Amino acid sequence: MAVSILITGGAGFVGSAIIDAVQEKHPQWKVSVLDLQMLSHPRNNVHYERGDITLPADIERIVHLVRPTAIIHSAGFIPELASRYNRKARNRAFSVNVEGTRNVLTIAKSAGVEVLVWTGSCTAVTDDTAAEALVLAANDEKFATCALRPSVIFGPGDGQLIPSLYSCIMKGETPYILGSGLNLWDVTYVTNVADAHVLAVENLLSSRTAAGEAIFISNEQPIPFRDFCLAVWREFGHYPPFQVHIPRSIAAFAGVVADWMSWLTGIQTTLSNGSVNDACATRYCSGTKAREVLGYVPKVGLEEGIKRSCEEYRRRCKFGEKHDILEQ
Amino acid sequence: MTLSDAGAGRVEQLENRARMWQVWKVSQEPRLTSSRIPYSVSVISWLHDRASADRASQERPRSISSISLPSPIITLGLSKFSRWGSEMKTWHDPPHHRDPEKEPASLKICFDFLDLTSRSFSAVIQELHSELLVPVTLFYLILRGMDTIEDDMTISLEEKDPLLREFYKVTKQDGWNYDGNGPNEKDRDLLVKFHFVVEEFKKIKPVYRGFINDITQKMGNGMADYCHKAKYHGISVESVKDYDLYCHYVAGLVGSGLTLLFVESGLANPALLDRPHLQESMGLFLQKTNIIRDVKEDFDDNRRFWPKEIWSKHVSNFEDLFDPKNREAALNCSSDMVLNSLGHADECLFYLAGLKEQSVFNFAAIPQTMAIATLELVFRNPKIFERNVKITKGQACQIMVDSTQNLRKVCDVFRRYARAIHKKNTPRDPNFLKISIACGKIEQFMESMFPSQDPKAIAAMQAAQGPVVPPEEAEQRAMAEEAKWDTIYLLALVMGFLFVLSTIMIGIAWLFGARFDIAINELKQGKLSRPPPDAAQAIAGKYDRGEL
Repeated sequence: MAVSILITGGAGFVGSAIIDAVQEKHPQWKVSVLDLQMLSHPRNNVHYERGDITLPADIERIVHLVRPTAIIHSAGFIPELASRYNRKARNRAFSVNVEGTRNVLTIAKSAGVEVLVWTGSCTAVTDDTAAEALVLAANDEKFATCALRPSVIFGPGDGQLIPSLYSCIMKGETPYILGSGLNLWDVTYVTNVADAHVLAVENLLSSRTAAGEAIFISNEQPIPFRDFCLAVWREFGHYPPFQVHIPRSIAAFAGVVADWMSWLTGIQTTLSNGSVNDACATRYCSGTKAREVLGYVPKVGLEEGIKRSCEEYRRRCKFGEKHDILEQ
Repeated sequence: MTLSDAGAGRVEQLENRARMWQVWKVSQEPRLTSSRIPYSVSVISWLHDRASADRASQERPRSISSISLPSPIITLGLSKFSRWGSEMKTWHDPPHHRDPEKEPASLKICFDFLDLTSRSFSAVIQELHSELLVPVTLFYLILRGMDTIEDDMTISLEEKDPLLREFYKVTKQDGWNYDGNGPNEKDRDLLVKFHFVVEEFKKIKPVYRGFINDITQKMGNGMADYCHKAKYHGISVESVKDYDLYCHYVAGLVGSGLTLLFVESGLANPALLDRPHLQESMGLFLQKTNIIRDVKEDFDDNRRFWPKEIWSKHVSNFEDLFDPKNREAALNCSSDMVLNSLGHADECLFYLAGLKEQSVFNFAAIPQTMAIATLELVFRNPKIFERNVKITKGQACQIMVDSTQNLRKVCDVFRRYARAIHKKNTPRDPNFLKISIACGKIEQFMESMFPSQDPKAIAAMQAAQGPVVPPEEAEQRAMAEEAKWDTIYLLALVMGFLFVLSTIMIGIAWLFGARFDIAINELKQGKLSRPPPDAAQAIAGKYDRGEL
């Protein structure tokens, strides 16, 4: 079967990994991308189209052009660092994530697309679930949809997690432990997330046991957040010279103060009320469903993943390349 | 010696051993140095347990009866008891008692042998449910008898080999006994009077006999194989696979045998039979932990159980581990070993979840909790390369109190020690992340057994709070709520800021000599307006006079 697959957000960090995974497993599939950004080094044999998912006309154009069998909708807006928790960013996130998703679903359905896999986040449980609810509600006989909920994603090319942890070394913030430092936390290596997407598309194209389901994806190796940080810092040859525990209540207060300071000064800080919550919360999920329904097994382990990501970030810093993306 | 030295270099060690026995016999001290496991010996890796000549340890639970409130003081007072087996009797209210009045003479002799040959297990075994009491006792004695043959350096390999391989048959021969052991072999007497064991063995249920014979045969073959290997290659372990196999023979097999007995007697969940890796883990976790702890002692006895595959990653020769110059490498190597052992911990908890009856649970749980405590003790502990380390009596008592109740309590013990291991973990250790993941796995497993969040309770709570609001509306509400709090925080911040600033300004004014005392006094007198400059000086002068 000639499968044509459209990946929204395909120029991004996760999207690019999905392209690689699709091309590796199904070299005969036709791959196209809809993204706001364009890459300076696009992947081979991929049709890139610039467009905004909040504008229905942009989506219609590419859908009618490439006639996709399946859509992987991974375009989303994840604000950086502290601004993730401020209101302006939230409004933007809402319009991209919810309105954009609604647009994609409506157009896909009317254009006869068979399958849609939506990339959510494991925070679907704690954050708002509006977009995910839309995706799952759209599932029917003709149009199979499922939602993947990966935990925090990291990997080579990651613009958020590894860089912000690296910057802690520069700022001398590494000795401070927020909360108990025992709360378990899940991350997922980016190629594992990509593998899960390919498995989900395969499933919806065949048995459809995943249709209408929301599935957690992770590396299934939860560790304390603190340990993840230490492991990343170790890759850069840094070991905290001493350790200070900051109780969660004090950290939360400092987080609120930092929020207002960053609001007043316009400078983003590592610390914020939200990031304190992130650092102190126990967040991991069960991988059972992914294993049973999709046959998903994380191929790259945490240790190997951290090694690869830090190596790539070191290279990136050395060459002074901030992003692979052309600012336009 | 114990089965653990099954193996090589025996002839060379012969003299060494004989000397050690002499020393031990003369001193009449509990022989701590050459036994595998002082307190933490497992129910399962039984063969490492050794009785001491200490008569006190032969008292049975019935004689001390029940002091139901566990008191560490009582236990601490009995300093001659060096193993938990004996401590246990002093405070613990056993779930079952033996009834010696109704026992035949040959069975009484078997229990006497149990006391003589096992220190740690005698107590827990004798508290077992009456259904299992005799079969488990005999199982222990049979394996102990086999081990006594295997251990004896005075028996030639030619004689030893068939004896071990066919030991499972002697239990069918009325009146069988063996007097070929050297005069110094400690448990020689057991084999000399083995016909009492054979006598009692005939009386137990055929199905139990079958299980015990089966395990005895497998272990006999394993022991014989190790004796051959040891003769030509010395006592050492090459790969991790060999290490697992070795532990399988000495501990894993006992785990399977006991599981068969537990399930057959209806005191454990039959599902355990379908999970052989759980049975295996029960034995391996104990055995591996003890091998880590006893590294120095074994090394002094010319035995190396740490697999080369692991130590060669850290040092080039095994001896280098004990050189203080290589302390860091040795510690990293020990972490590698701890990691290997820690991988079995969650499966042990899983296994314990399948035990229904209290006495069986206690029998299986105590060694496991002792093992996790020991693992924490040896983790990144440089002392293991210098001498034998052991957990304190207080710790052992606390663990026993917690291990003789229920699975949740046992999980608490595991969590406590897994967190202590996690705390000692350092990013400078090459296995830092792997150990962290292993500790996380234990916590995750306990969470899956005893979820801290109950989906039903959450659903009920949500239902009680009224209908679920649509997500977009909820978003708006949340935003309004957040905006309200933002305002409150902002106000608090502004007030706080003003307060700090005022304090600083007043403080600076005071440092520069501002006279607030005068100002306050004048204000009290109702003078609210500012006095003219010369009058101000006069007022100040009035206040200062007294001080001059």
